[in-house]
Amino acid sequence: MSQEVPQNVERRVHHSGEKVLEFDGVEITLGGRTILHDITFHVVRGEFLCLLGPNGAGKSTLLKAILGLLTPSAGTISVLGGPPTHDTSKIGYVPQRKDFDRSFPATTIEMIVANLRGQWPVRIKPDEREKAMAVLARVRGEKLANSPLWALSGGESQRAFIARALVTEPEIIMFDEPAAGVDQRGRGELYELLNEIAADDYLSALMVTHSITAISKTAEKVVIVDGNVQAFALPEELFGNGTLMSLIGGHGPDATE
Amino acid sequence: MLSWWTDHEFMRNAIMAGLLVGGMCAVLGTFVVQRNMAFVGEGLAHAAFGGVALGLWLDIGTRYGLSWFGPIWIAVPFCILVALGIGWVGNKGYATESTAVGIFFSVSVAMGIVLVYIRKPPVKDLNTYLFGNILAVQRTDVYAALAMTVLVGLCMWRWWKSMAYVAFDRELARLSGIKVERLDYLLLSLMACVIVLSVRTVGVILVSSYLIIPAATARLTGGSLFSMAVKAVILGIVGSLAGLIMSYYVDVPSGATVILALAGAFALTTGWRVFRS
Repeated sequence: MSQEVPQNVERRVHHSGEKVLEFDGVEITLGGRTILHDITFHVVRGEFLCLLGPNGAGKSTLLKAILGLLTPSAGTISVLGGPPTHDTSKIGYVPQRKDFDRSFPATTIEMIVANLRGQWPVRIKPDEREKAMAVLARVRGEKLANSPLWALSGGESQRAFIARALVTEPEIIMFDEPAAGVDQRGRGELYELLNEIAADDYLSALMVTHSITAISKTAEKVVIVDGNVQAFALPEELFGNGTLMSLIGGHGPDATE
Repeated sequence: MLSWWTDHEFMRNAIMAGLLVGGMCAVLGTFVVQRNMAFVGEGLAHAAFGGVALGLWLDIGTRYGLSWFGPIWIAVPFCILVALGIGWVGNKGYATESTAVGIFFSVSVAMGIVLVYIRKPPVKDLNTYLFGNILAVQRTDVYAALAMTVLVGLCMWRWWKSMAYVAFDRELARLSGIKVERLDYLLLSLMACVIVLSVRTVGVILVSSYLIIPAATARLTGGSLFSMAVKAVILGIVGSLAGLIMSYYVDVPSGATVILALAGAFALTTGWRVFRS
């Protein structure tokens, strides 16, 4: 097992060990049903954490709780020392691709500027264009700027959304299955890009994923959630004992994307 | 050549009111189309029927000698209440939006039918409300449409950028700090008012297409949401003008001719898209 899953991530140095994101005994109840309980884990500044678990385990729900879109029924979530927030200067969010209407009449740059302003733009100012182009360059997507959203491929669309999340210069960035809808060839490249962005900016990152490739390319730490926290460990501690494969369904690399 | 404008006072009223409501419908229609709310538009149009019937039944204008107090002044608040009801039931999760529409829609029509039947004297010009009638448009309707256009214009000037963000994605808009539910109620209320004001021109049965077709046509031509709205407004105004003039010469209910004119534009644009691809 460990030969098949090489550990590619170069460890970054976590100077302070400051916890930028901390779950302490969190319980989440939706429609009267407790879907998550005793959720305790943390992300330290500059760390890349992968969040794993079977379908329907409530991984996306955890991200929404961090953003303050829903309130835990017990326990506390602390984001940069404060309560859950969707302050875009603190936290960037790349939603699941299937959640958004691809037919919306807009260009990539409009979508990025909308996040920068908090309002949909009618006219884009030069300084806004400059910032948008800078983040598009980070995701190697300069040529996407004036493309309509419907014309973007799966991979391009994800790059556009990553640029969108980066434009407000957040301290934490969250990705919800960023490779969904991206072809097999593009996935490895995408994960490398995410890793590079997080490392270059010393961003703290939290990524929901099903993918072994994703973990091998990005994860410095892994948390596995199914009802409660099944494991919170370094990736190399998880490979080999079967926990990881059994928990993510045992379909092999990328099968569930 | 311009006899449709010069010869009759009623026609000038119909044209002025028609162009104003045509433009307003097109602006709001941009959101209706983009947010897949066509069924909500349909539901509010039927609520407008209930509201108009309530107005006819109460008949406040005749009773108190207020000639300007037509049934639309009852229909507007009634329709706003229904719109807010639909929004509230949907937002609170008691029923999905389309279920809520389905319920309010049929209850309003049922109530309208009862009221129309029990009214004394009987309602003789029901077709006017169902299919539109340029003869029925009065000077007060023009003033009402003008006031509403100012209101819609101000709301768009203030909230366009937020409403556009909500149309793109509700959750991302909320994360950017936009008060999504409040804007839902605003859009629904504006739709309710504009739909009621459109009833004279296009009638209850056809008003939802009046909302949708200009925006749906504009959407086919590409560009940003803003350019879609601008094109929709131009189309809504031109289509209304063409339809009203047609109604004047051919002597059929104006709702039918306006919608056919707009549908013609939609068909041509679709044909152009198919031909080009």
